[in-house]
Amino acid sequence: MQQREEKQLETAVESLISRVAHVKNALSSFIYKLENEYERLTWPSVLDNFALLSGQLNTINKLLRNEKTPAFRSQVIIPLLLSPDRDEDLAKLTEQRVPVFSHEIVPDHLRTKPDPEVEEQEKQLSAEAVRIGPELAQKHIQALNKLCSNLLEKLNNPREDREGDASVRQNKASFNPTDTSALVAAVAFGKGLSKCRPPGPVAPGHPGQGPMMSGGPTLQQVTIGGGSNQQAGMGGPGAPQQQGQPGKMPSSIKTNIKSASGSIHPYNR
Amino acid sequence: MEAPPVTVMPVTGGAINMMEYLLQGSVLDQALESLLHRLRGLCDNMEPETFTDHELVYLLKGQQGNPFILRARRSLSHPTSPWHLRYLGQPEVGDKSRHALVRNCVDVAASQSLPEFLNEMGFRMDHEFVASGHIFRKGAMKVVVSKVSRILVPGNTENTERMSLSYLVELSILAPAGQDTVSEDMRSFAEQLKPLIHLEKIDPSKQRH
Repeated sequence: MQQREEKQLETAVESLISRVAHVKNALSSFIYKLENEYERLTWPSVLDNFALLSGQLNTINKLLRNEKTPAFRSQVIIPLLLSPDRDEDLAKLTEQRVPVFSHEIVPDHLRTKPDPEVEEQEKQLSAEAVRIGPELAQKHIQALNKLCSNLLEKLNNPREDREGDASVRQNKASFNPTDTSALVAAVAFGKGLSKCRPPGPVAPGHPGQGPMMSGGPTLQQVTIGGGSNQQAGMGGPGAPQQQGQPGKMPSSIKTNIKSASGSIHPYNR
Repeated sequence: MEAPPVTVMPVTGGAINMMEYLLQGSVLDQALESLLHRLRGLCDNMEPETFTDHELVYLLKGQQGNPFILRARRSLSHPTSPWHLRYLGQPEVGDKSRHALVRNCVDVAASQSLPEFLNEMGFRMDHEFVASGHIFRKGAMKVVVSKVSRILVPGNTENTERMSLSYLVELSILAPAGQDTVSEDMRSFAEQLKPLIHLEKIDPSKQRH
């Protein structure tokens, strides 16, 4: 039983340490950004930083509220040895923030009561609370509750109206699905991109390479069938895309590979 | 002398089959800034990288139906870099529940004489376009936000015209065949980009006509 609790405590403390380290890093990078990149900072990026911090604090809260976490309140820390000498291990553990475990740092680091100033303020507030009497306090509480509920109502209701308004959301849409399909089609198989033509002025000995016929069938013509390439070249759906411009590509010399698939040429060798 | 690590040893007796896992979406111009900002936050911390590439798609028509397609890509911002030749297979029709488009992918680098070589081999250029934009990385994932422009005069990459008012967003991972956990990671990353953009697997064969 004892060991289980000890283990739980250990794991809880370790995860707490790592979460707090994350918060520390986020805070330090945020502060650096605010101090040094002051001119280039935009509101969305500041909001992102705040969101990050709030998320991290949330995780810490969840961790503390977790039922597997033992109550830290019931643990007591007692310093066993104080020395004015510099302790290297401690310095390394705390990243040089606490180099010496002496009587100066103990009141600050092992404090369990609030700071003296905070204690003073709390005392004043509780004295004030006792002074005004229970009926007046009750009236104050009711007034505060009413204000909060009014505010909540005002915040919630316009949002409900807005959610029903589709046109508002249209303006805020950040992507267009038709554009997505158009772009994907363009990149995947060249839909909407003008098909390349082989160069028009070729030697007359080269059969079948006029400006209206592509050197090889375009992708769209493939679906019609490889054998009827000539008809496909004339009446295929790709026709409007074929601008009869002399291509800038170097003319292909008839290689053996090409003539092997001689069925696509109108002239037989 | 100890043996070199496995990744460095030459692959003999068959190549490692690399598969490309792909999710695609688009973003309108006005939302581009917020998308870039969000990606800068979500992805690995590095200097934002921009690129301008010119891609040419070559076809080799054989006797049978489907032509063989190769994609040659070169960087316009680094003209002396090697060309990049890529083969993409047909999308794997497997599991319908797989979240990303999976296809076989073979990549090689090539020298500046690649277009002439392909022409000599019998390939014909089918279409070309210029893609320019930003690239982000998160671990093995690569996110590319690019605007696609069509080339008005073949061969002239200065004179281009944008295809649409949106940027294409692609999330891809290159992994050896058989690692399906990869698509889970991609899906959770895509969730983080909603509702700004919707990354989904778009089957290119369904887009035709």
